[in-house]
Amino acid sequence: MDATLLLKIIAGAGALVVGYFAVKALYEEWPKTALEDQVTKIMMALLTLGCVIVLTVAFGIAGKV
Amino acid sequence: MATHALQVSDAEYQEVRSHRLLGFLFFLISDSILFCSFIFSYLYDRSASPMWPPAGVERPGLYLAAVNSIVLFGSGVTMHLAMEAWRHANRTRFTQYIIATIVLGIGFLSGQAYEYTHLHDTWWGSVFGASFFTLTGMHGFHVFIGVCFLITVLLQARNGVYDQNRYFGLTAATLYWHFVDVIWVALFFLFYVY
Amino acid sequence: MSSAISELQQEASHAHIHPPPQGFIAKYVISFDHKVIAVQYFITAGLFFVLAGLLAELLRAQLTQPHNTLLSAQTFDEAYSIHGTAMVWLVIIPVLTGGFGNLAMPLMIGARDVAFPWLNMFSFWLFPPAGILVFLSFLYGAPRAGWTEYPPVSMETTGTALWCAGVFLIGVSSTITGINFMVTIIKMRAPGMTWTRMPLFVWATLVTAFLSAIATANLSAALAGLFNQKVFGVPFYDPAHGGSAVLWQHVFWFYSHPAVYIMILPAFGIISEILPTFVRRPIFGYKAIAYSSVAIGLVSFMVWAHHMFTSGLAQWVQLPFMILTMAVAIPTGIKIFSWVATLWRGKIRLSTPLLFTLGFLACFTFGGVTGVMLASVPADIHEHATYFVVAHLHYVLFGGSVFGIFAGLYYWWPKMTGRLLDERLGKWHFWTMFLAFNATFLPMHWLGLLGMQRRVSYYDSQFHSSDLLSFVAGTNLFVSISAFVLGASMLIFAYNALRSAKAGKVAGPNPWGARTLEWMTSSPPPYYNFAEIPIVLSGPYDYGKPLPYANISQDLATEPVA
Repeated sequence: MDATLLLKIIAGAGALVVGYFAVKALYEEWPKTALEDQVTKIMMALLTLGCVIVLTVAFGIAGKV
Repeated sequence: MATHALQVSDAEYQEVRSHRLLGFLFFLISDSILFCSFIFSYLYDRSASPMWPPAGVERPGLYLAAVNSIVLFGSGVTMHLAMEAWRHANRTRFTQYIIATIVLGIGFLSGQAYEYTHLHDTWWGSVFGASFFTLTGMHGFHVFIGVCFLITVLLQARNGVYDQNRYFGLTAATLYWHFVDVIWVALFFLFYVY
Repeated sequence: MSSAISELQQEASHAHIHPPPQGFIAKYVISFDHKVIAVQYFITAGLFFVLAGLLAELLRAQLTQPHNTLLSAQTFDEAYSIHGTAMVWLVIIPVLTGGFGNLAMPLMIGARDVAFPWLNMFSFWLFPPAGILVFLSFLYGAPRAGWTEYPPVSMETTGTALWCAGVFLIGVSSTITGINFMVTIIKMRAPGMTWTRMPLFVWATLVTAFLSAIATANLSAALAGLFNQKVFGVPFYDPAHGGSAVLWQHVFWFYSHPAVYIMILPAFGIISEILPTFVRRPIFGYKAIAYSSVAIGLVSFMVWAHHMFTSGLAQWVQLPFMILTMAVAIPTGIKIFSWVATLWRGKIRLSTPLLFTLGFLACFTFGGVTGVMLASVPADIHEHATYFVVAHLHYVLFGGSVFGIFAGLYYWWPKMTGRLLDERLGKWHFWTMFLAFNATFLPMHWLGLLGMQRRVSYYDSQFHSSDLLSFVAGTNLFVSISAFVLGASMLIFAYNALRSAKAGKVAGPNPWGARTLEWMTSSPPPYYNFAEIPIVLSGPYDYGKPLPYANISQDLATEPVA
């Protein structure tokens, strides 16, 4: 198996796992209202976005080689 | 400072904590402006350039960076889980997750070091190298500081500096780590995807 | 009413008094006390003010003749670059934020200190090394591109690296102070002091703190880029390697335009405190003044490119910047009209602080009008590189900020030292300074419109007709003499300040009969500011009504009218 495919698979699988936990964290944080919780919500949302970006890269949709 | 935290009344602690939290968030905003300024510089130079990256400059490897990003994003999740474990008074879990975060952070830095040594542009070679190494280097420095921060709070937590309700150092470390993660989302997009 | 007070009483009760520090170093050097730190800022910035002022006199000495051989062209360039740098970053910004912000703001909101006293100390101690670095650059060939240090000219001098390091440090100091002040004002106001009961100086300091915390990080980035290009050859601003010199101008001015408001908003705040006190009337349009500060702060981020109309920006970029820049005149005009309306039918007491305030109003309005002229693109292209710009910026920064600073010094001197400055000397100071200031900078408008280039040490080659040249030379001689008088007028203040230590009248807690909280404690205030945290029941400017405070010790809570 060539190295690029391996990296793609690791990145894609990792993005799915991390993304799942990030969305779960966002869901659990949602009802909380303290200042640091509000910030955590923003951070988790952006983290999810990051996972989506990595996922599109792994599937070859986006990204410049 | 944190050692004194256990000696003051609850009301006073809450007040001081709210000051520190707000001050820390302002610091993070200010820090993100620092990154924004360099990102603006990068986009400006890029839009003024006829081709990107400039002739003779190779882009850094995409898929290695993707894996490296997932390592860093994963550390963000473990950090969040560590904090949740602390809130639920599960000290063993907390220690495990925070060590995982530290390991992932160091892993990210190693990946970046590997990438740096295999890149065919220097930071004074072209404006691409200048922006790339400045921004990712600055971010890497933030990750390094974050790792030091995490090791410190881990040691402090083991030495009983924090208790169940007074743990601002942990909150600050968590927010800082999330911040470093989120900055990487922008940098990954700018240098590898866009 | 009484139940409301007891609720606030509850809120006030859990603030401890910490024991004051002992020993000279803890008291005066590594001090955490905001009042001492303010004095440290004043003294340090005062020294830099003298140095930078002497540089300005040197420049004027060179310009007394069209082709003077006093300074070489290089030294002249170095002198005006460091003059500008020092006046902006080592005098006006530290005095208005670190100085007056530290001195008055915590007292005005009824707090014991700022939110992070340690950071406050740290922030001050970044300031003297920063200034020393900037002045040390003379030893290695100081930067010669003005305080804005446009590359590629700034790349020619070795001192640029030191200059970058110095300004970077002062930027970090300013960021830390900004964060500290924002948290202090948001979190530590006395119980009952709602947003619209805050004194206007506190409003101004809040907006300034926001600007310093947000915009200064951008300056740090720009300076890091310039430093890297100078020292390591990283081509951010180098067109030969794909960089852009105009990029520096963008990032620099994205900080430095907000910085212009960092330099003027606290002065607006000082003026808004002094006017009602010496006119014995509520300030006209409290909310208008407060919210227009916020508006100015927001708009300041969207006007930076008006410094760059001659840098070759596309026309569609110039137009919105021109319109937005002119729009700044609206909130500023609201303030000016509110201040003038406060004077209307007031019981005006022409003490020195009020004189400087009126001087501020006159000079700043004038500078504002030329500002609108310069905002217009066609006019700016003609005037940009001339003395017209020099005249404009000195009208706003000297006529505005420095007059505001002196107004504030005369006003808060008794609070700071416990003694009053001499009124007669103060009036002498004001009139010499005011007249010499106008004699110095007013003729520069004409010189600029006639085409005299700024930043040039010889001006004989610019004017081909000998009649014109002799007029320009005569005017320059007059300007230079006025500038020397202006410098000398500062000696009156220095004498007055030193004299007050021995011969000054003891002030008492409230010599001006003001109503804001800093006057409700002894002069100088004790280490802990207030024995009990005061409670605020309404706004600070209702002259003629009883004082709106509870928890104030009765012998201090007086409003004597001199």
